[in-house]
Amino acid sequence: MPPLIHEALLIGFKEAAKAGLVWLVFYSYLVVNDRKNFVKPFYMGLLVSFLIVFMSQFLPSDIVTKENAGNIISMSFALFLIMSGAALFHVSGTNMLSISASGYGSTLPEETQVPSLKPAAWGIIVLLFTVIFFAPDGMGSLLQLRELSYIKGRGSMSYISALIGVAVVAAVLFTVVGLYKPYKIGGFFDVPQLLLFLAMVKLFGSGAKEFAELSLLPSVQRGFMKFAHDFVHQVFLFLMVPDHPLLKATFWNFIGIFFGPDFASLVSLIILLLFPFMFLYHSLRETLPEPETRSVAEGRKIKAFILSGRRKRALPVACFIVLILIAWFSRSEETIMQMYLPKPIPVVADRGVVMIPVRDPTMNVMDGSLHKFSVSYEGRQYRLILIKKWDNTLAAALDACEMCPPEGYGLRDDHVVCIYCGTPIPVNTLGLPGGCNPIPLAFTIEGGFVKIEIHDIVKKWGFIKPLQGKESMH
Amino acid sequence: MSFIILKNIVKEYGPAHALRGVSMEIQKGQWVNIMGPSGSGKSTLLNIIGGLDTPTSGEVFVEGIKINALSEDDLACFRREKTGFVFQQSHLVPYLDAVENVMLAQYFHSMADEEEAVGALTRVGLEHRLKHRPSQLSGGEQQRICIARALTNDPVLLLADEPTGNLDRENTKMILELLKKLHSEEHFTIILVTHDPFVSQWGERVLMMEDGSIKSDAPINP
Repeated sequence: MPPLIHEALLIGFKEAAKAGLVWLVFYSYLVVNDRKNFVKPFYMGLLVSFLIVFMSQFLPSDIVTKENAGNIISMSFALFLIMSGAALFHVSGTNMLSISASGYGSTLPEETQVPSLKPAAWGIIVLLFTVIFFAPDGMGSLLQLRELSYIKGRGSMSYISALIGVAVVAAVLFTVVGLYKPYKIGGFFDVPQLLLFLAMVKLFGSGAKEFAELSLLPSVQRGFMKFAHDFVHQVFLFLMVPDHPLLKATFWNFIGIFFGPDFASLVSLIILLLFPFMFLYHSLRETLPEPETRSVAEGRKIKAFILSGRRKRALPVACFIVLILIAWFSRSEETIMQMYLPKPIPVVADRGVVMIPVRDPTMNVMDGSLHKFSVSYEGRQYRLILIKKWDNTLAAALDACEMCPPEGYGLRDDHVVCIYCGTPIPVNTLGLPGGCNPIPLAFTIEGGFVKIEIHDIVKKWGFIKPLQGKESMH
Repeated sequence: MSFIILKNIVKEYGPAHALRGVSMEIQKGQWVNIMGPSGSGKSTLLNIIGGLDTPTSGEVFVEGIKINALSEDDLACFRREKTGFVFQQSHLVPYLDAVENVMLAQYFHSMADEEEAVGALTRVGLEHRLKHRPSQLSGGEQQRICIARALTNDPVLLLADEPTGNLDRENTKMILELLKKLHSEEHFTIILVTHDPFVSQWGERVLMMEDGSIKSDAPINP
């Protein structure tokens, strides 16, 4: 038998551990609250997810599919995070299932009651959420396995390795659950906490960029940074700040703080922690409902029951906060700061045309990496970049955008990143004009050379009014 | 069905027999006094009914629950939910004030509620002593805190073991009148152990115990 593929084995471990953990928490929640009838739609959801994952086998093997899978995973994380907040407000932090199991339900005000959907409707919701949770991650993992299979050239061995990983985790899980029956952990969860838990499992257990990647954090960081940047950017654009002639360099640099990776990273962390802190506040500070009871002591008992439940359910949320902080700060340096910054290679303009070889012994502009060039013309220096896009076409652009001082771009994962403001720009959007995108250049490829008119470079470098103003600052 | 049913309760401490096959029934809302000389088994009987002690043999039912078959946790729950105790010694926490002493009982039942604790002390006429510590209060006032503490969790059964044993006649009367008032308002069941003939005349029924057995069981004429 050929040796196992370790990366595939890890993918199997990871996906099985995620599924096992989610099953354990959800099943325990149902056991504790005497609602085991909802376990059937959960299993059906798993089956539907499996079918979707199987069908994804027939998707094309290209970087766009992989990128889309990554986006869907990120979106499903965001969905669970937002849904958890919405559920928290809707259910008001009172675990109505445990309240109803305890027989206290009728004593509480109507606004604290759980939405009166029929069991069938709840069943469909459970099924849908199961699919939304498992299908994207499963698809991502399958794409990774397919890629591994291709790279390693060992056919189905990557799938077999992953299945062995799944089997090992399943065996451990069944043994532990069979021996210890740890269903008490269900008492730490309510519907909002369950949704938050699912979001956290995705945050720490998902990832579509690399084999057996264990965290969505880089994607989330980049997503939030982009959001923070775009928000600030649009506000200043709305105020016509960049074009204002009275603006001084210091002011522009001040705005740059908002665009910078440090600030954006911090803001994005705050946004991510907002939900868990909202849960903590709700659990520990929100006013308790006033039960209608025969005696005040009985009312106090019901309130104590609710309060203790809230405190109990604040515990996993506090753990999430600690985990997020640890993961964020331990990963932020490697994920946010590491950037490929190539030095510009000097090229010359011959009879008004800059000619760059597509391939030579030292370089290949179609290798997917970022390539920088500098050209001197009439006493001024201009910089430009070349990079292969996901559709295997080339993009040529100035090493500057319309908005920031022209400090240029670096490469991080699938994004070029503005060195000045830290904005990540997907490589496949290069060639589009406007905003933070590098200013595109017209080019042709002839006889193994990329040809760019020098006057196009000069014109676009010079035409950018804010750039001219800001350039003098540096 | 009677509120409390005792069937042939025997309690032995080694060779000593504290109770020798006691059987009786108590109706809900009744005030029953248990009289007898020292060592007759009256406190042992009270502790067994309240779940503080277990019989060597026999069965105890309170509100249909066979309490001598309960686990330690369930028994603690029974005491917390169903009973209130008043002892001869106040057993108040000396460094807590009156309100805090009542709130402590609420805390172990469910959660502390200061407003409710103040209400309980007002009910026993101690609204002017809320922030006083036990050492700053008279014996009668301390016993009134004990009653407020015993009743704050709305028990169905109040067990009092010589509640006036440390008090003079005037304070004894005041405590008994307070109990009578609260009993008529809230209709909980009282079982009160005493050796004082004056105290035994309050309530609805008196049991005479001697050497671990009930010697007489008679209603008290109003």
